[in-house]
Order: sequence, then C-alpha cells, then structure tokens
Amino acid sequence: MTTLDSRPVVTEVKDNYLTFTRGLLSWIFTLDHKRIGVMYLFAVLGSFFVGGVMALLVRTKLLFPGKVEWMTADEYNKAFTLHGAIMVFLVIIPSIPAALGNFVLPIMLGAKDVAFPRMNLFSFYLWVVGAACAVYSLMAGGFDTGWTFYTPYSTQYGAGGTIPVLVGVFILGFSSIFTGVNFIVTIHKLRPPGMTWFRMPLFLWALYATALIQILATPVLGITVALLVIERAFNIGIFDPSMGGDPVLFQHFFWFYSHPAVYIMILPGMGIISELIAVHSHRHIFGYRFIAFSSVAIAIFSFLVWGHHMFTSGQSPLMNVLFSAITFSVAIPSAVKVFNWLATLYKGSIAFNTPMLYALSFMFLFTIGGLTGIPLAVLSTDIHLHDTYFVVAHFHYVMMGSALIAMIGGLHHWWPKMFGVMYNEFWGKIACGLVFVGFNMTFFTQFMLGSQGMPRRYYMYQPEFQIYHHISTGGSYIMALGFLITAIYLIHSLFAGKKAPANPWGGASLEWQCTSPPPHDNFATTPRVGDCYDFSAVRWDEKQQGYVIDTEAHLAAASSGKGH
Amino acid sequence: MIPTLLSQATNDPALGAGLPVTPKTFWLPEGASTIAPEIDWIFNFINYINYFFFVLVIGIMFVFMWKYRQRGREVYARGPNHHTMLELGWTIIPTIIVVFIFFIGFKGFIIAKTVPDNAYQIDVTAAKWYWKFKYPNGAISDDLYVPAGRPVKLVMRSEDVLHSFYIRDFRVKQDVVPGRYTSLWFQADNPTEGEDFHHIFCTEFCGTGHSEMNRKVFVLPETEFDNWVVEQGRWLDKVSDEDLWWKAGPQLYRACASCHTLDGSVGTGPSWGNYDGNGNVWERTKAGSTHKIDGGKNLGDIIGPGKEYETPEGYLRESILNPGKHLVDPYGNVMPTFKGQLSDRGIQALIDMMKNLDKFNKDGTVKPDAIPNAGGAAGAAK
Repeated sequence: MTTLDSRPVVTEVKDNYLTFTRGLLSWIFTLDHKRIGVMYLFAVLGSFFVGGVMALLVRTKLLFPGKVEWMTADEYNKAFTLHGAIMVFLVIIPSIPAALGNFVLPIMLGAKDVAFPRMNLFSFYLWVVGAACAVYSLMAGGFDTGWTFYTPYSTQYGAGGTIPVLVGVFILGFSSIFTGVNFIVTIHKLRPPGMTWFRMPLFLWALYATALIQILATPVLGITVALLVIERAFNIGIFDPSMGGDPVLFQHFFWFYSHPAVYIMILPGMGIISELIAVHSHRHIFGYRFIAFSSVAIAIFSFLVWGHHMFTSGQSPLMNVLFSAITFSVAIPSAVKVFNWLATLYKGSIAFNTPMLYALSFMFLFTIGGLTGIPLAVLSTDIHLHDTYFVVAHFHYVMMGSALIAMIGGLHHWWPKMFGVMYNEFWGKIACGLVFVGFNMTFFTQFMLGSQGMPRRYYMYQPEFQIYHHISTGGSYIMALGFLITAIYLIHSLFAGKKAPANPWGGASLEWQCTSPPPHDNFATTPRVGDCYDFSAVRWDEKQQGYVIDTEAHLAAASSGKGH
Repeated sequence: MIPTLLSQATNDPALGAGLPVTPKTFWLPEGASTIAPEIDWIFNFINYINYFFFVLVIGIMFVFMWKYRQRGREVYARGPNHHTMLELGWTIIPTIIVVFIFFIGFKGFIIAKTVPDNAYQIDVTAAKWYWKFKYPNGAISDDLYVPAGRPVKLVMRSEDVLHSFYIRDFRVKQDVVPGRYTSLWFQADNPTEGEDFHHIFCTEFCGTGHSEMNRKVFVLPETEFDNWVVEQGRWLDKVSDEDLWWKAGPQLYRACASCHTLDGSVGTGPSWGNYDGNGNVWERTKAGSTHKIDGGKNLGDIIGPGKEYETPEGYLRESILNPGKHLVDPYGNVMPTFKGQLSDRGIQALIDMMKNLDKFNKDGTVKPDAIPNAGGAAGAAK
C-alpha cells in the first residue's frame, strides 16, 4: 500500500457488506438487511441449539419407562414445553423469512435493501426482547403448559414463568408481523424493471404468501395470549368455566393463529426447495405458475382449517365434518408442488451438492409428512390418533423434516454468498446423511408408537413401548451428531474456508450476479432481469472455479419469449 | 373393498354383536370394540394409498436422480417448462381421491358419534389425576367395568382442567372439558379374561401426574356385570359404623360441595362452617340456637324435647330429604331433595361428618392426623 493509488484495494474493502464498516456498534445499529439477516441467523441457530438440547433431554428420559432420579415429571414437562416453545416461536417461524429471507430477498429483487430498514432492525430487537422474556420465565419458575398453553391449566396451574413467556410470545408476534409487512411492501414496490410477478424467483412468491399469513394471523395470537395473561393475572373470566369462560374458545383462538402458523413455517421452506431443485438440476423449474399459485392457495386455505386440531375437543360434530372436508383442500396444492419438483428433476443435470442433498431429503420427508396428514384429517381415524405420538411424528416430519431441513439446505445454498467462503463438501454430505438417517429413526418409530396408542407428553409409559423409544432416542443422538458436524465445518469455513466464487452452483437469479459476499449496496446499478430459471446462458468458468452468466444472452433468451 | 365398508358401516348393535377381538398388528393395537374394525379398515385403506404414492414419488425421484445425474459441469439441461394437461391431471386426480377418503372417514365418524338408544349410561368424572366412574344404581369405581355385548355411553365432566378419555383398544377418545358435559359410546363384545384389561389413557396434558392418569377397563359377561354392579352399589354397607364419618362422609359430601362450603364462605346454600356467628352446622343446630330460619325465627325454637324435632339429627335429616320445609335466612328454596338417593346410612354418614367438621380440610378431605389409627388407614380413604 505504498503507492498512492490504493483505490482498488479500498473498493475491495468497501465492496463487502461484512467489512464495509467495523466495530460492534456498526452491527448493533446496522440498517443493512444482510447484517440483520446474519444477526437473525446466529440468534436463531443459538436458539436451535438450546431447543435441541431440551429435545435430547426429553429423549434421554424416554429411554426408561418409569421414573428416573435425575428428572422429575415436572422437570420433564418443563423440558418438552421449552423445546416446543423455543423451536416454534424462536426458531422455525423466524428462521427462513427473517434470517435467510432478509438476506436474500432484496438481492433477488436487485434492490439495495428492504422497504423499511429501520422497521427491519426493530423487528430483530423485538425478537431479542421476546427471547429475553423466555429466558426470564425460566428464572421465574419455568413453564410447563406445553407450547399450546391450553386453558384452564395455563391460567390456574401452570408454573410461575407462564406470564413472562406469554409476554414473550406476544412480543415475538410483533417481530413476525414487522417482517411480514416489510416483505410485502418490498416485493410490491422494489421489484426492478422487467421483473413481473411471474418473473420473480419462487422463493419470493413463498415469502410473499408467508408474509400475508404473518400479518393476518399473528394479531390473533397476540390477542389470545393477551387475554390469557389478563385471565391469569387479574382473574377475569374469559376461558375459565368457573368464571363463566370457555376453554374451547381458547382452542379456537389459538389454532386460528397456529394452524396458519404451520404454513408460516413450511411455505418459505417450499420456496427454498423450488430454488434448490431448479439450480442444482441446472434446469428450468417445471410448472412455475402452478407452484406460485399453490403457495397463495395454501396461504388462503390455511385460514379455514384450524378446527381440525379440535376433532376431540367437544366442538360440534357438524363443525368437525366441515373442518375435515376443508382440510383436504390444503393437501392438493402441497401435492402439486411435490409433483412439480419431481418433474423438474426430469431431464435435469442433477449435481449432488450438499444443498441438493437437503432438498432431496426434504422431498422424501415431506412426502411422508404430507401423506401421514391424511389419516389425521380423516375424522374417524383421527379420533384414534389424536394426541398420540402419531401426531408428534407427523408434525416433526413437516416442521423439522421439511421446514427445518429446507432451512438448513438454504443455509448451505447461500452460505458462500453470505460469507464468501466454501464449506467442506465432504463433511457436508456426511452430516446430511447422518441427519437424514437419524431423523427417520427418531420419528418413523413414533408413527408406530402413536398408532399403537401411546399418548403424547407422557413422562412414564407402558413397558411394551420401550423398544420404539430406544430406537427413537438412538436416532436423535445420530441426528445430534450430524448437526454437531455441521456446526463444526460451517464455523471452520468462516476462518479457513476456500474463497467462494460469485456463483458456485450455477444459479441465474440476481443474488448470484453480485460478488460473494455482496457489496454493501448489493448492486452498483439496478440490474436488468431475465428469466431466473433459464440456465442456458450459465457456463462453468474454470479460472474462477464458479459459474458465470452471459448477461446479454440471458436477457435475450428472456425477451425472445421463451420461459414459462 | 367398498362392500366390506358398507357391510360394517352400521350402528345396529345387533349386527355388530359377537365380533371377535382383532389381534395387534404392525400398526394398530388389538381392536376390541364394535367400531374398531371399521376404523381399522379405513386406517389400513389410507395406508395402502399412502404406500402407493410414497413408492411412486420416491421411486421416480431415485430413478431421475440416477438417470439425470450431472455429467461434467458444462451440462446445461433442457426439459419441458410446463405441461398443462399433466399438471391439471395431478391436481384433479388427488382431489378425487381425497374427496373419497373424506367420505369414508365421515361415514365412520357418524357411526362412532351415533349413540344407540339402549346404551347403558355411566357417569365419568375426571380430575387431577384420576378417573371416577358412577353407575346408574349409585355404585362407584376407580376402574371401569362394562357389560359385554351392550352399548355403553359415558357422560363425562372434569373437576379441574382439560383431560381426554382414551381407550385405544376401542378406538374411542373424547376430551373432558370443565364446564360442560361430553360423551362417547362404545360396545365391547368380548369379555376380558381374568387379569386382562384394556388401557384407559388420559391424552390431554394435565400436569404432573398426566402420564399416571391411567385406569383399566374390564369387560364382564352381562350377568356377571349385573351382579358386580349391585355388589359395588353396596359400598356404603361395607364401611363400619365407626368409620362412617371419615370414609363415607367426604365421599357423599362431594354432592353437597358445590353449594355448601366448609369454611363459612358464602355459597348457593348456607355454609356448613361458621358463617353467622352461631358456629358450624352441628354447633348451631341445637335447642336454644339463635340461628335465624324462616324469616326471623330462631332455629332453637323447633329443636328440643316436645318441639317439632326431638333431636338435632331429626332436623338435619328433614333438611336433606325435604329441604323446602324450613329455610335458613336469607336463602330461598333451591335445594333438590335427596329422597331416594341417600339411604339412612348415607344420611348418618353426613351427620357424623358434620359432628366432626373440625377434622376436615376446607376442600372436604379429612385431615390426615385426624384419621383413627392413622397408620395404614389413610390409604383406604376414598
């Protein structure tokens, strides 16, 4: 740096959002969507670790059918409640939209940031406050109501930390709403010239549908937990029958949010899978419009099916019949997506990179998760299966085997873009395999446990179920090992990873057309967009060890009318 | 398969009578009720559909994975972008399938929900963390006993939080909700042999003892059941005279508890505790008592030698069997009569309890140190 002309070096430094400014304050007060996304990412992964440890404690207890010295029934109840609440409210709901979506969405749009950067930062700090409430609730006696907070147990008996955690959930709801509002406005207002709605990457369609649910359903959760706090703190009868309330009303309120929330969790995952399968197959996505519309259809239907959580609750049989019928309508768009992904593989050029292995795992696990939803939607069989391990297995296949696996796949897909480094592919594949095998051992056995009649949330159980629990717990250890390896090679890559090219996988959407990591402003000028699933102008470049896009050819192909 | 479904799709218990217990399979536990075969048939039918689609989707996925694996990084793949007929096809065909599945599930549900008119009713009370069963003749039990070959209807209520009543071998489940009655029915045709039983599980999380809220169902041959329920109905006779006040009293008091408190606090009816300065119900029921009844009269004026009631016991007995005759101020005539429901021995047990009221907690349970021969006797308190 002795020469005066240090300009290229300065540009190089300025050109990277991680090095654009330095110091802790530059992160704390950042308005950069990428940095906020990264902060969300590590916060979510930290929570995932805590929730995972809780799960392992629960699984370890279940090795034994009777009482164990080191964990009482009350401690067990708190452990599974904490596991569920953390995984739902702190991990899965924010994971894809707020962490990966925050990072990728504006870049995919060729924008410099989201529409409301300050609101975006505020959303993150609301998440932090919400998480702090959950931590405080542990010191105030913990909570043992299950993540569903059913009344009157939660208002009359639940452990001392119930109110703090409800306040936390209330605040986390606003965090989620702010992200949703931000994404909707960003997608409406900041699309670059040439990117029509049907030129958007499918991940954005999924995030858009998710955001709709976030802003329409989450307020109901806020109101519900607020009523719960009012009843518990001030003895005002809303849900408690001894004060003129109705506990089933709580269930209606709760599931009116929490069923759509299931799609807040899975829709972004489906969006990621659409990206992963197309990019790693180097092949145009099949049936773009069907996939896009199915996201919106799922978002709409998701509001009409909450009653299927309540087939045994005492709601009227007529309601049960209606909710069962409508529930099947959600199955169709989900099935359509799977068939379209399958058709995308057809005549593709499939590269088995780690992200793609996660995408294929997703298809395997989501197919099981979706199909096992059928006996739960069918009235007469649900009566037998409701509140057994069958339900536990089903929603883990969808929430973890699908939503979380998609998130981890997306993380591997965009990791080189986020941090400018490549991770170790060998260990990535090993870890993916361990997670896949461990997951199926853990949760497939739980289908059998459930259909054989073992109720969920049981501290002790009949000895006849022990063999299933042994396999399940063994699987959970294998899964934990897989995640441990993942954490090690990802952290290792941050310090010693090979430098990532701009486009390691051969993607054609805009985020692969800026450097890795992206510059502070993402793009110097607003980029022009072609068809983000047209890979005909993408070529492997040996020198860069990455793919390059011939932009002119790419745009020409799009304007020549090929495409969807 | 459809004819099988229709032949089983009936709520006529006569047609279901004598169905054998279906053995445990890979997926399902043994089926011991008349609706179990119907439910199991639907479950297995859906499973076969699921196997088919799973093998189809994942099979195709693996074939494509192998056939279209990347060969060299240069390869750019060209395939169809969309195919409207194909896509409509895989939207419409699954729709038809799920409509059909909904229909058979709906049918099974209606059968499971339609209670036969001649069902034998048993009242169920759920509380943290036990079940109580009460039979039409007043008999009560901790485990459930049902007659074989006869439809049984359970009418259930909860004393505290949500519970859920589940007999897996019968494929029935119903939440038990505080503040409302819920019900379910089943018919088990095959008596359980000897020590055998079917599990009752609580399937709605209810706190510390949730996983221990398990009881047993015994299915008895019909005549054996009739004998059992008569015998069980005589539980009061089996309590010795001296134990009546703490063994039978609290049990019977549960029917009084919703109106009469024990600690003097205001309820629908006068408290058994001290609420007007005249002492508890036994202390204020005596000759010379200034406890006000019938709009300003003294209770003492009607009790005593030569008065309307020779003894306080006589007044208390009248108050249970004929509650409207004398009313404690300022209460109205709202208490139902217990004539025909309480035997003389039951009334004696309640009066004995009143006499020993200081030995009870305010929730109606006896204080442990007040139990005669406390060692070992506590366990027998039910």
